[in-house]
Amino acid sequence: MMRSMRSLSRHEIVKLQDDRLRKLVKRAYESSPFYRKRFDDSKIKPEDIRSKKDLAKVPFTIKEDLRDNYPLGMLAVERSKIVRMHASSGTTGNPTVVAYTKKDIEAWAELNARCLETCGVSSNDVVQVSYGYGLFTGGLGLHYGAEYMGAKVIPASTGNTKRQIKLMKDLGTTVICCTPSYALFLAESAKEEGIDPKRHLKLKAGVFGAEPWSETTRKVLEETFVESAYDIYGMSELNGPGVAIECKAKDGLHVWEDNYIVEIIDPNTGEVLENGEKGEMVVTTINKEGMPLLRYRTRDITILNDDPCDCGMAHSRIKKILGRTDDMLKIRGICVFPSQIEEVLSSYEGVTPFYQLVVDREGPLDRLLIRVEISEDFKSDRLTDIVDLQKRLEDEIKEALSISASVELAEPKKLPRSEGKAQRVVDLRKI
Amino acid sequence: MRQFSIFLENKPGRLASLIDVLAKNGINVLAMGIAEAGNYGIVRCLLDNEERAMTALKDANMAMNLVDVLILELKDIKAIVKKLEANAVNIDYAYTMDGGKIVFKVNDIDKAKAVLSENGIKVLN
Repeated sequence: MMRSMRSLSRHEIVKLQDDRLRKLVKRAYESSPFYRKRFDDSKIKPEDIRSKKDLAKVPFTIKEDLRDNYPLGMLAVERSKIVRMHASSGTTGNPTVVAYTKKDIEAWAELNARCLETCGVSSNDVVQVSYGYGLFTGGLGLHYGAEYMGAKVIPASTGNTKRQIKLMKDLGTTVICCTPSYALFLAESAKEEGIDPKRHLKLKAGVFGAEPWSETTRKVLEETFVESAYDIYGMSELNGPGVAIECKAKDGLHVWEDNYIVEIIDPNTGEVLENGEKGEMVVTTINKEGMPLLRYRTRDITILNDDPCDCGMAHSRIKKILGRTDDMLKIRGICVFPSQIEEVLSSYEGVTPFYQLVVDREGPLDRLLIRVEISEDFKSDRLTDIVDLQKRLEDEIKEALSISASVELAEPKKLPRSEGKAQRVVDLRKI
Repeated sequence: MRQFSIFLENKPGRLASLIDVLAKNGINVLAMGIAEAGNYGIVRCLLDNEERAMTALKDANMAMNLVDVLILELKDIKAIVKKLEANAVNIDYAYTMDGGKIVFKVNDIDKAKAVLSENGIKVLN
């Protein structure tokens, strides 16, 4: 079952997508008051949506819709069929709640199992899940996936870093699932404990997600922590982790298209873009029962690619997430993604992958300050070497972002570390 | 004796924290100079226990390195600069040391040592 869904042909995927889309639209119209109203307001009938290309007629669903219909106004099933509810952090207003039926949980487990299998994980592996467990979907999602395929799971969750490292060593962890920033922190902490992960641990794969990360972070993680680092994509509105995963070719993340229809749109106009164009990813969950979403705006920026992949899977790929429309910083009118800065920084010797962006305003002008941590391996007695490093970083960042920024060098281990999502942006502008 | 070069942010308390690390480990500062550029700088210093200092600074996560320098007598300075100039040895930087001494970092230490000893100028380290 699992293998057959990974190896669907392009033709089978498209057929399954259209088939499931028609069923979903009908069901949403019949069972979800929210979507019935949406369709009626836009004068669309379920029969108007026959295939993926008709989707453009359907209005977008946005995060505010989930908040406005808090807590369970978006259900497309009887409340009694719900077996699980997760909620996102509600720092502003209501949290967003997502609800699952029993079938949804099973489908979610299977999707995560597919992801792990794509990373070469088998039932013989020991999988340490160091994503948060609880309302956040990361921990449980990977946990279900690993268990589904019969692997040995260590539900470590986040925090207690010393114990995490001890467990890895003593229980022979072969696969680590966590955020890339926590992975960097684990690698660093292991070193401090006198453990060289590459020599003393057996981590053949790392499944890193929940925040965007760069190729150069991959290089660091593969040199210092795991044999092979894979990017996994998901968000709680779309089940959680397990929406897309990198294969061994590591040239984009395969989206499980029998479960998700992906469109790329221009975030400003809402217009659907061609494959290969950069824009916001919009997802329709064609296999979700409890709380399906039609054309959900993920706010993640990427590029869709349906060219055949070296790995042989026909599921289309999205590029590593380039940034988020809401993480996107507008500085002097220019869109800046932290990932662009990370890419520049991590290609440099002498600095660590830890950084912090501080944006403030001087008079009418935005100022971007990038605090970069110097590496303990940076060795020089000459000020000119450091000034030179700073200048080169500033030049290259200007080149990458098309705006100038000042680079401030910090001492080793002086920038904040985080055990969850990295707090890398400080916006001091009063708008 | 070699010179420690330590990267520090240029803000209140950073030098104090370095001195604190040294003090806690019973390490004495024999000479010190600071070069700054904007928000950071390099502290160059001679410490009386190289091995212990290295461990202490590493444990404190400081970015540092060691270079060879010349410790000379301040009273010889006229002759020193003249001889080095005559032999095209560049002085990168210098700072004074307690007891009438001066620390020189040059671009070619072997040549500098040879030139100074040929001319009977004492190198103290």
